[in-house]
Amino acid sequence: MTEISISQEPGLGEVTIIRTYNAPRELVFSCFVEPERLAQFWGPKGTHVPLESVVIEPRVGGRFEALMVADDGSGEFPMTGVFVEFEPPEVFSFAEPGYSDQSMVSRSTFEDLGDGRTRVTIYQTNVPEQFRSAEAMAGMTSSLDRFEEYLASL
Amino acid sequence: MTDQLSATFAALADPTRRAILAQLANGEATVNELAEPFEISLQAISRHLKVLERAGLISRGRDAQWRPCRLESAPLSEATDWIERQRAIWNDRLDQLNTVLNEIQKTEKSHRTRQAQKGNDHD
Repeated sequence: MTEISISQEPGLGEVTIIRTYNAPRELVFSCFVEPERLAQFWGPKGTHVPLESVVIEPRVGGRFEALMVADDGSGEFPMTGVFVEFEPPEVFSFAEPGYSDQSMVSRSTFEDLGDGRTRVTIYQTNVPEQFRSAEAMAGMTSSLDRFEEYLASL
Repeated sequence: MTDQLSATFAALADPTRRAILAQLANGEATVNELAEPFEISLQAISRHLKVLERAGLISRGRDAQWRPCRLESAPLSEATDWIERQRAIWNDRLDQLNTVLNEIQKTEKSHRTRQAQKGNDHD
């Protein structure tokens, strides 16, 4: 990995993460669609993904599922996604149930940098209105806190 | 998702309640003051305030007559933490992907080297 950047959020409730890998695009893409590979990195720290829990139906409308199991046995976190876009080795996106009936969409794009490196961009969007509201409200209250601090300092 | 988080998001799902919270971000206000911008009854405003109070998003003063409403920011922080967690999950995944890629490439390389050596043996 030669470069890490986490962009400023383009909008409330949107998450963008960009990484560059020293590996060809086909190989990087394959890690997201081959269960043996996905299981090795998909679970965040403190969790693991049992290989038998991974379901990848590589087509639009296909299932994209994995079970993240806490290493200390404290819980299990299922992911039940459906592919919305599937165009190897360039892009795939999947929707998963968010809060209530609304779904969140995570889009991963794979860019061939032409020198053996690949840039991966993860863009999580369609975050439910409630989440965006919470962020906006929290932003408002924290700036209010800062304003109060400023007033107190006068 | 925790019950507190569900209650927070349910309370935020309504535009009137969001407008009330936005108004309270400017400071305490009474029910009458909060009702002013809306063309709905005081009763309806009171119902919204009850939902917000149950979700812990606002608190109300003890003075029975005046009971000013005040914004409570802790549940909102919990909701935004959820978004931060999403970001943390992706960061972990992409860190670990780097390790997986390195291992695959190392294996492929040593495999190629072995193949090449085999080829030499035959010469």
